[in-house]
Formats: sequence, structure tokens, C-alpha cells
Amino acid sequence: MKNKIKTLIVSSLIAAGMSSLAHSAENYPDSPVRIIVPYSAGGGSDSVSRALAEALKPEFPKGIAVENRTGGAGSVGMSYGMHAKPNGETITMVAPELVMLPHSGNGGDIDYKKFTPLAIVNSGYAAITVPADSPYKTLGDLIKAAKSKNLLFGNSGTGSIWHLAGVGMEKAAGVQFTHIPFKGSSAAITSLLGNHLDAVSVSYAEVASQVKAGLLRTLVVLAPKRLADAPNIPTAKELGFDVAIGTWRGYCVPVGTPDYIVNYLTDAILKAANSAEFKSFMAVSNNDVDIIGPKEFQEKLDRENKFYKELISTL
Amino acid sequence: MIIDALLLALQPSVLLYMFLGVAGGIFIGCLPGLTTTMGVALVLPLTFGMDATHSILLLIGVYVGAVYGGSISAILLNTPGTPASAATAIDGHAMAARGEAGRALGISTISSFLGGIISCFFLILISPYLAKFALKFSAPEFFMLAVFGLCIISSISGRSVLIGLLCGAFGVLIATIGIDDISGVARFTFGNMNLFSGVNFIPVMIGLFAMSQAFVSVEDMMKKQSDAKKITQALPHKEDWRVIFKNSAIFGSLGTFIGSVPGVGADIASFIAYGQSKGLSKNGDKYGTGVPEAISAPEAANNGVTGGALIPMLTLGVPGDAVAAIMIGALTVQGLQPGPLLFQNNTAIVYAIFIGFFVANIFMVCIGLSSVRLFTRVLSVPKAVLTPIIFLLCFVGSYSLANNFFDVIVMFVFGVFGYFLKKIGVSPSPIILGLILGPMAESNFRRALLMSRGEYDTFFSTGISWFFFVLIVASLLFPVFKKLTKKK
Repeated sequence: MKNKIKTLIVSSLIAAGMSSLAHSAENYPDSPVRIIVPYSAGGGSDSVSRALAEALKPEFPKGIAVENRTGGAGSVGMSYGMHAKPNGETITMVAPELVMLPHSGNGGDIDYKKFTPLAIVNSGYAAITVPADSPYKTLGDLIKAAKSKNLLFGNSGTGSIWHLAGVGMEKAAGVQFTHIPFKGSSAAITSLLGNHLDAVSVSYAEVASQVKAGLLRTLVVLAPKRLADAPNIPTAKELGFDVAIGTWRGYCVPVGTPDYIVNYLTDAILKAANSAEFKSFMAVSNNDVDIIGPKEFQEKLDRENKFYKELISTL
Repeated sequence: MIIDALLLALQPSVLLYMFLGVAGGIFIGCLPGLTTTMGVALVLPLTFGMDATHSILLLIGVYVGAVYGGSISAILLNTPGTPASAATAIDGHAMAARGEAGRALGISTISSFLGGIISCFFLILISPYLAKFALKFSAPEFFMLAVFGLCIISSISGRSVLIGLLCGAFGVLIATIGIDDISGVARFTFGNMNLFSGVNFIPVMIGLFAMSQAFVSVEDMMKKQSDAKKITQALPHKEDWRVIFKNSAIFGSLGTFIGSVPGVGADIASFIAYGQSKGLSKNGDKYGTGVPEAISAPEAANNGVTGGALIPMLTLGVPGDAVAAIMIGALTVQGLQPGPLLFQNNTAIVYAIFIGFFVANIFMVCIGLSSVRLFTRVLSVPKAVLTPIIFLLCFVGSYSLANNFFDVIVMFVFGVFGYFLKKIGVSPSPIILGLILGPMAESNFRRALLMSRGEYDTFFSTGISWFFFVLIVASLLFPVFKKLTKKK
């Protein structure tokens, strides 16, 4: 009996030792991997991440799953992922809030420098939209009117990305809007549909169905180039205003994650984002695929961190 | 077109999915901690592989079932499964405690069904008009609606209106914690990230109602009190039917209307229905002791919301509540764009949704009525078995909301607090009402002033605002008036 116990202990020790030794490049995903999504189940970030996880499944034989950790406009989940063990078992979905919230004092301890970026898979840009029967037919009309009267400009919440988009537009045009914050974009859009606002600054994807139905009119998109599903809408840059503000969804691991894991994950995500099943999901769900590798992702974080710091300090 | 829709909605597999959806929804709704929104979000990933009809009708089934299911645990265990049935618990449990659990369940089931069917008719017949009317609501109207809702505190406070008002104010104060919607400034968070988005009101509700009730059960067990209740009545009394029909017609319509206003949901509707039915009923002063109207009105209203919430989604493409937001996601994944174009481009699927909604309500009443006996058996389960299960559900439910242990702590703290409230005979409902309506009143008050550039007359600039103002004054003065006339 004693012997049996001894062998059991010894063999389990050996097994434990082997598994820690085996933790090398060849064996990386040797356990289930989870993707922390800092927004709630059923929303855009959640569905994009779930679709990506589905496309990643072949590369993760032990399983890969989405876990929603919500709260604080995303800071709770991002902080959780940032403090996870850097062993590749926890990937965190991040959004521009990572480099926005700290500057308004609402980010808790989140710090983009404590993340190693892997890849961005999706982006969406701000659009300035008015009711279909609005007297403002072009961005020029709207800016001209803003010089002589107060325009009510709805957004998805003070300090949110779409509020900053409105602020970015007014800075670029040298005018002032009266910003009306709502709890989320759809409340702002609903208020615009009821003609209680002059305009809203939210993402184009969020107003696309009402624009197509002729209830609303998008005057301009704050994007670097025209959007694939709205080729007739000019960009702010074309109209002479140098402003492009949008959201994106990227994936990170905590700093200190071994290189072979970072490389494995980056390759896997880039491959999954290019897969036909992911692309077709993104097409039907009104999300634009925009794939950005780790190097440019890091540059983007640095650039946007500086940009939002300046913009938020002027609020 | 109708034939196409019938063929879509009445496929055997669709019917099976809907049946399972309704049954699953009732189950989810029953469990304290699993809310309607969570139930629908849980089922959503399963629908990605289905076609549009299967997908949306399964979700509608879950929605209809869950909104109804919450009342079962509210009545039997005094632990509302969802916030929408918190109002039902007040009189529903009082009736069950008298040994008339079957009667209470029967009233709630039939009222939920009628409320759902009424909202279905509104949805089919006048949804474009209701949607247009709902769009007239702007910040001042939402503020007035919220204040009107807060007046209900006077009806749900139990013995003392003063204590009720204190509880309501406490709820409103808790709701101020977190990053303020309007200014973006963090309030009372003490730098704790878990408080940035405020105290989640679901764990508060689970604590105040379910956890505190579980503590009471533990205490009863220690006192060795046997409370084996005989179930005397399996179906509503004959005289209940009149009450059910009257209340369902009024408050089912009210629920549909409230549901069609984006941003106002089943929880608010059921409290408003409870308060208003008290004013209308002859038994107003018996409210709280287990009167049928007080079960029928909130249940008809919360299921009335289900149809109402689909109206802005189908006609405008904007969600009426959190559940509709998930359904919009589900439809978009199917390549359908909810909104005005859906009626033009996919008429068959819109009609299939109407038919499916109707069928889901029929499934709900069939499952509900046939299982009344099964449900009431819960009462004969020994408390030593049932109570640990409720404890477990409280913990799992509050953790699973955001996968955050902080919510479990919140739940536990409010559980202890709720236990002491129960001991001194104070109803926790006003706290919940304050938590739900406080932020709605505050942010819309400030939003209205931002939009009017500080002009206070914005609150009296439309007919809707005046309408609510008259209702507020009437609901506050009516009891005083009643008392005065009685004395003479």
C-alpha cells in the first residue's frame, strides 16, 4: 500500500515536472485559452470576438472561448486582462477606450504600455448624421449654421469615443456645438429620429439601416478614406477638415508573455481574421474587416494615446 | 404574403424551437439571478447556425417565457426571478402564504397571457403609429415619466409611506454611484474600478429579495417551524376572472405602450401597473395582503411590454430595451436589417414574427397552466433542501452577470440589509424603484436643461409632459381626497 502511494506521488511529481518542461514552443496551447471581452454579451464587441474565436478554433485544440467581464466602459475587463498571468492563456480584447479612459481619470489602473499588442481585426469610423428632413444638406451647411446658432449634437456619452468624434469635428471646423450625451448610441439615434436633435456623431454602422431607409442622412464620415458600404458619403478630409476618429477592436496579451506565444497568437489571429467564415460574418453583421499587424498596432496605440490626451485636455 | 409567413412560422421545427424557447425562458425567468436579458444573450450564440425565422422566433420564445417565469418564483418563494416580477411578489406571495398558491399562479399565468396577446394585437395593427408617438418622447417627457413612476412608492411602501420614501431616496442615492452619464465625472467610486459603472441593480435586487428570503428560511428552520401549506386552490376563483379580464385589458395596453417607448422596460411597467391598479381598485386598501388585482395588473403589464419592445425594433431599427438590442444583433447576423426596410424587403419574416409572437404566448399559457401543480410542489420541498439551492443560485446568478466577484459582495451586503428590513417589516420594493428610476429622472432632467439651454419651461412645453404632470398631481392628491371624503 505504502509503495503504491509512493509510486503515485513520484509519478505525479514526474508528470508535473514534465509538463512544466514541456511548456515550450511546440506545446503552446496546451490548455484552454480565453478571450476577455470587456463589454456585454450580445453587443458588437462580443459578437466580433465570438466569431473570431470560432475561426481560431482549429489552432487551439484544447479550446478557446470568450469571457465577458463588463463594467466601467470597458476598464474593468481590460484591467482584469492586463493583470492576468502572461502565459498566453488569457487574451484581452481592447478598444480605443484603453488609450482614452486614463486621460479622463476614469480608467482605473489600465495602461496600454502593460499590454503586448497582437492584431486589430476590425474598425469603424464616426459619421455625422442628420434627420432626412433637416435643412442641412451638406457638412458645409451644418458648419455655417453652427457659427450663428447653437446646434444640438447627440453622442453616446460624455468622454465616449463618439463624443470625442464630435469634439474633433468642431475643433477642425473652428465652431462649437452643444453636446448632448446619451446612454449609448441607440438612445441618441432614437432622439434624432424624433427630431429632438440637430445631428448625432456615432459610428456609420449604427445609423446605416436608418440611412438606407431614408429616415436619416449622413453628411460626412470621419474616416481616412470612403467607407466600402457608403461610397457616396464624403470623408471629412475630402471636404478640407483633417479629422479621422473611429473605434477598432484589437487583441492583446499582458507584457511579459514569451515571444513564441506572442508569435503563435499573432499568426493565429491574422489567419483567422483572413478566413472566409470570419469575413462573411463581418459582412453580414455590418462590421468592416480592417486587419492591422502587431507593429502598426503598437504605433497606433502610441499615436492615439497622444491624440486623445490632447483632445481630452481641451474638454 | 400571409401564407408565406404562416409557412415560415408554423414549420414543425420552428414550433419545436419556440416551444423549447418558451419552456427554457420560463425556467431561466424562475431562477433568481438569471434575468431575461441574460437568458436571451445565452441563447443567442446557438442561433448563429440557424436561418432567420428559427433564430428570431427562438429568441422571442425565450423572451416571452422569461418575462412570465419570473412571477412563479416571486409568488411561491417571494424571490422575484427577474426585476419585472418584483411588483408581483408583493401580493402574489401574500396570497400563496394563505395557501392559495395555485390561485395566484393561475391569475399571473392568465394575466401574462392576456397581456401578451393584447400587445401582439397592438404590434400587428398599430405599430407604426405607436412608434411615431413614442418618438415624441424626449428628455423632458422621460423626466416626467420617471417622476410619475417614483410616485408609485406611495403605493408599495407597505405600512409607512415615510419609510417607503426613505427607502426610495436610499435607492436613488445608491444609483448616483459611478461615472455620471452627463458630465462623465466619477461619483462616490473612491477610485474603485468596480464602481465606475455604478452598483449593478440586479445583484442588489437578488440580495434584497432572494438572499434575504433565504436567510429568513434558515431562521425558520432553526426555530423548527413547520409551515407545510395545503394547496387549496389550483385555478382562479370564478370572481377572479372579471378582475383578470379588466386588469389585463387596461394594463396589458399600458405595458405595450410603455414597452414601445425606447429605454423604458418591463420592470418600470409592472411597478406603474401595480400603483395605478391600486388607485383604480375597490380593494385599494387591501393591497399587500394578496388581492388578485395586484397580481394581475403587473403581470399583464410586463408581458404587454414584450410586444411593445418589438415595435421600435421592427419599425425604426432601434432597440426598445436590452432584449430587443440582442434581437437586432441576431437579425443583423442573419443579414436582415431591422427597421423600416424590413417591412418592405422581408415582409414574410415580419409577419412570421407576428405569428410566432402569438404562438409563443399560447405555448406560454399552456405550459404555465399545465404546470401549476408541478410548480406548487416546490412548496412541499423541505426548506433544508430548497434554501441551499437558493443560496447557490444567488451567488451564481450575481457572479455570472459580469463575471465579477464584486457583484457577489454587493448581493451579499444587500442580502443582509434586506434581512434586517424584513425583520422590522419594511418592504424593499421602493429601493429597487429608486434604483431604476432615479438615474432615469436625473439624467433626463439634466439632459432636458442642456437641450433647452437652461430654460425650465421645457418641462411644460408639450402635451405629453402636461399629461404626466396631471397624472403625478392626481396620483398624489387622490388618496388625500379619498380620506377627506370618507371622514365626512
